[in-house]
Amino acid sequence: MSAQEKYDEAFIETFEIEKSDLTEKLEYQSIPAWDSVGHMALMAEIEEVFDIMLEMDDILEFGSYTTGRETLKKYDVEF
Amino acid sequence: MSFSLNAEELKKYQPNRFPFLMIDIVEDVEPGQYAKGYKNLTNNEWYFPMHFPGAPNMPGALQLEAMAQMLTVAITTQEGLSGAVTHALEHTVRFRKEVLPGDCLRIEAFIDSWRRGICKGHAFGYTNGEVACQAKMMITIPDILEQYLPKR
Repeated sequence: MSAQEKYDEAFIETFEIEKSDLTEKLEYQSIPAWDSVGHMALMAEIEEVFDIMLEMDDILEFGSYTTGRETLKKYDVEF
Repeated sequence: MSFSLNAEELKKYQPNRFPFLMIDIVEDVEPGQYAKGYKNLTNNEWYFPMHFPGAPNMPGALQLEAMAQMLTVAITTQEGLSGAVTHALEHTVRFRKEVLPGDCLRIEAFIDSWRRGICKGHAFGYTNGEVACQAKMMITIPDILEQYLPKR
């Protein structure tokens, strides 16, 4: 499974959404499932899938589906 | 190292007060791991006269509250968290038998995970050696959780 597929699957599994929902409009609090608890669940899923430990600043910056990809590049995740 | 908390000492770690403090004693707490203790129920409990006349039993919502309060002690006895306000996020509870006047409700609460201000845990409530209630719970300390949330 590619990094992009793992990334997408993390969102789909955590928020119980469809692949078609994965757009640049998907951001924190843009859907009911991506609330404060959902954000922590997503961060935990991302960490598990990519076997990384996110820094606090990166968790704060992980505000959207789009910006999250940029954040993960810091952890040598290649899309 | 585990320790115990008497009726006054536990108030340092559990902000609820009468008539909503649902635990009497913490016999054994390992911060960040578990808390075990009990609530003694007498005929004088404020809810028995109306729940229900002629058939008093502890409301299920308060059994759940008692388990959540015990789990909170396991959280707030960790370093730097004494007196922290907690909020419930999601609880799933199963009631197995009535909890009656004269019963001692023994509660054992366990932390399954604690990370970034969110605790996932579970608890059992026992009377007369049998499970009376059990729950899976998610509790947060909002002040910690908010530190990790993106700004909009």
